Amino acid sequence: MRRYVIRRLIQAVAMLFVMSIVFFLLIHAIPGGPDRVLFNPKLPPSVRIQLRIQYGLDQPLYIQYWNWISHVLQGNFGDSFVDHQPVMSDIGARAPATIELFVVGLLFALVVAILLGVFSAVRQYSLTDYVVTVLTYFGIAMPVFFFGLVLQEIFAVQLGWFPDLGRASVDQTGFTALEVFEDYALHLVLPVFMFSLLFIAGWSRYLRSSMLDVVKQDYIRTARAKGLSSRIVFFRHALRNALIPLVTQVAIDFGGIAAGAVITETIFAWPGMGQLFLSSLTNRDYPVILAMLTFITASVIIANLIADVLYGVIDPRIRFS
Amino acid sequence: MATIQSNQAPTAGALELTPELARKRRSQGRIILDRFLRNRVAVGGLVVLLLMVLAAIFAPFISHYDPDQYNIALQTAPPSAAHILGNDDLGRDELTRLLYGARTSLTIGITSMLVMVAIGVLVGAVAGFYGGWIDNLLMRITDGFLAVPFLIWLFTVAGIFSNGSVKDIVIIIAVFSWPITARIVRGEFLGLKEREFLLAARTLGASDARLMFWHILPNAIGPITVVATLGVGQNIIAESILSFFGFGLQKPTSSWGTMLNDSQAYITSAPILVWAPGIAILITVLCFNLIGDGMRDALDPYMTER
Repeated sequence: MRRYVIRRLIQAVAMLFVMSIVFFLLIHAIPGGPDRVLFNPKLPPSVRIQLRIQYGLDQPLYIQYWNWISHVLQGNFGDSFVDHQPVMSDIGARAPATIELFVVGLLFALVVAILLGVFSAVRQYSLTDYVVTVLTYFGIAMPVFFFGLVLQEIFAVQLGWFPDLGRASVDQTGFTALEVFEDYALHLVLPVFMFSLLFIAGWSRYLRSSMLDVVKQDYIRTARAKGLSSRIVFFRHALRNALIPLVTQVAIDFGGIAAGAVITETIFAWPGMGQLFLSSLTNRDYPVILAMLTFITASVIIANLIADVLYGVIDPRIRFS
Repeated sequence: MATIQSNQAPTAGALELTPELARKRRSQGRIILDRFLRNRVAVGGLVVLLLMVLAAIFAPFISHYDPDQYNIALQTAPPSAAHILGNDDLGRDELTRLLYGARTSLTIGITSMLVMVAIGVLVGAVAGFYGGWIDNLLMRITDGFLAVPFLIWLFTVAGIFSNGSVKDIVIIIAVFSWPITARIVRGEFLGLKEREFLLAARTLGASDARLMFWHILPNAIGPITVVATLGVGQNIIAESILSFFGFGLQKPTSSWGTMLNDSQAYITSAPILVWAPGIAILITVLCFNLIGDGMRDALDPYMTER
């Protein structure tokens, strides 16, 4: 087990290292190179050359990469070309918003998907099952940004139940602690719905079929024969085993979840890292693009690593070799 | 034999079997097709999709408006008898734009799928067939592509390299969507390459390429068709997301995604301009997914005939 984890860790670090080179080359393959974007075209050539030297852009690529990666390993991703602040402080300022959306959205998606999956498996071919099935098909085929626009228009603009943009009210003066919490919670509702739709749909289908596989097994019949109620059999005996394959599926979908956060944040003007990523692409803010790509890739690789290890922990039948 | 049979009283099982046996012998392909056709939901998806494709092809016969004809007097006009879905922010007929947008969206979805399948089959076939270090190398490259989320790749590469042409978008979507196909094809090849029919073909002196694409590939066509069908829907959504966020097609080319981008400011004053392209994408992708799932069920040898 320990050897397996160590080997996977080494593989993960190696993969991240290779990808960092890929990203670096990708950015430098941009027509015109970084200085075209970085410097005002009206600058006299002498100043341009001086600036190139100052930013290290006159060096060969491998030296530039070395300079970049050695700073990155010390937690320094350089300064943003746009606001001239350290990239890490820009990302740090936006991390809490993204983490909030991520954690709440993921938990919401899991709870709803598990409930829907179990109920449609328990009542297979019932009306509930058909309704859930139809809804999940629509959920999977739904262009998420369109769903977000519609949610925003109906529940925020037309009905006014929830705020349409942002993470909190701009002016919270005079709010009690409870009202501040309520303010954050209300802002969170629509983005969480948009963010989790696709995964609720996918995971509930997935759980339904794995539940149907599990309930055919003998130990479920034994549990029923003991006289246990259906609820206990399904939620305590069957669900536990049916959840095992879902762990892998959630890890596989982790990249999609990250991409979903980028789209959700942009639609709802959520001040998180996803928004920063898209605006850095529009502005060609190289240090931020590089940092965000590295960051997203690292989190995808780590999520998969955790899932693989977790899979062995929750399923004792799996032996690591 | 005949006497033995006549001496036996027909059992219930034999009676049930008789119509099965009497049924005309069908080829494997015929069995799969019959199974697919019995899936009403999947056939429904196929019919709706064919209607949409026909509407896109024969757009000029359905609507006599020019999709690019401006009309200041009709800016964001609500639906009327002359303009069934109203007019967009520049007074262009929305239904006409939807029909012509279907051409772009479907073209991008289908061509990017074809390129995706071509790359995926080639990589997966070579990796699965040769194994060893070639397999290892190709699969590590595949892992590298999968280490970054599909949409993040698209945003990044389209954002910094694309000039917004249909060709660029097709290539970018294809280049980052093939890894799943490659993994599936590799898995099929790994299972099939040890079979006797391949040894026979090899003994007869068939070349590697012939073994891969003439002998093994036809046996893997089922899973490839499924992943290809589902891929079209996924790629249509990918294009619409890119175009909606301004990283995709650039004017004057328009797709359902660019229509959503153009109209999002008018969601309150002229909601149909957002709903129409959004629902068009939803229905198209839904059809591709239903057909894909129907094919998966039809191809599944463990599905019992009902």
